[in-house]
Amino acid sequence: MTWNRWFVFALALAIVPTLELRGAQEWDDTLFADLLKEVCQCPDEAWRTIPWKTDLLEAQRLSLAESKPIFIWAMDGHPLGCT
Amino acid sequence: MLDRASTFADPEIIEMLKSKFVPVAIDQAYQRRQQDTEGDFYRRIAGAGPRADFKKTTQGLYIADPAGHLIAYNNNRGAERIRKLMEKALAEYTPPKATPLTAEILDAKFHPEPPEGGLVVRVHAKILGGYASPKDEWEKIFQSAVARDNLWITKTEHEALVAGEFPPVLAERLARFHLIDNTRGEPPMWTKDEVRKLDITMADGKISGQVELKTATGSRGFNAELHGLVRVENGRVTQFDCVARGDYWGHGQYTGGAPEGKFPLAVSFQLANGSDPADTIPPEGSRFWVDGYLRPQ
Repeated sequence: MTWNRWFVFALALAIVPTLELRGAQEWDDTLFADLLKEVCQCPDEAWRTIPWKTDLLEAQRLSLAESKPIFIWAMDGHPLGCT
Repeated sequence: MLDRASTFADPEIIEMLKSKFVPVAIDQAYQRRQQDTEGDFYRRIAGAGPRADFKKTTQGLYIADPAGHLIAYNNNRGAERIRKLMEKALAEYTPPKATPLTAEILDAKFHPEPPEGGLVVRVHAKILGGYASPKDEWEKIFQSAVARDNLWITKTEHEALVAGEFPPVLAERLARFHLIDNTRGEPPMWTKDEVRKLDITMADGKISGQVELKTATGSRGFNAELHGLVRVENGRVTQFDCVARGDYWGHGQYTGGAPEGKFPLAVSFQLANGSDPADTIPPEGSRFWVDGYLRPQ
């Protein structure tokens, strides 16, 4: 093995533990910011562009005022939340 | 989750909902029980459908008029089916004569309000890996789902955060009702006994903590590390950013299909600003028992 190859090998040994640490994702400001961004509902998701009401009586009044039928998305757990 | 990424991702359905309907989203577990004007109106509509037993779930998609007449019902998924249902309902729709309804009677048990002087924090959860390749489109949706809930913080706890302390009761609420895998539906919350380790502290505006949650049989658990930031301006919390991340395992009765073994789960917390309709939704853990949520026993 030439000196150059020894050097690359030694460098790799030095780098690998660092990569493993990053692989295990130690906390730092970047990871924190990345997680906050990733674990979030994007406001421009298609279903979120629909102007959902959460009050059925408000929907009834609006339906009457605008002569439109009411569309009710009724779930177990709130549809805008966990289901 | 499935409806969001299928029916309510369809451009034609979205356009119809925006321009030709009044869309409303509800947790029917409230309305079918409410002894008030809203509950009466909901039961009039749902009672005309196939799920008229109000002791059981009445979930589904309903199209109704403002007089409380049911026009159409469906509890199946798939954009094409729902699009046709909506088009048919519109073609047959004649606006009825009706009176605008106001909440003359309000069943307070089912209309919880966020604590006065407190805070509402948006909570999101996501599984970061561990799933096998999805077998179909529906599994793919579940596997990439981001869940949403709200954390309520009381006035006293808000004041403690302003003073630079992370109150133990807030730590317990956060762990028991929000460090959950709700990405595939309604999960069980953690009982007091299932909290094996809870150490959340705050120093110089930085939150850090370790949480270990595990059922008695060990079939479900979550070991998480927390990091966060709290900013205070003029005596109010103006920033509450926190992330819990760790290994989760197991599932609940209604949240089957979790990855095998331990899998990475992250839960984020950020202050709500009222710009999202979901900011008004009571925390899932407060359902029917807000006191038990605010003061866990």
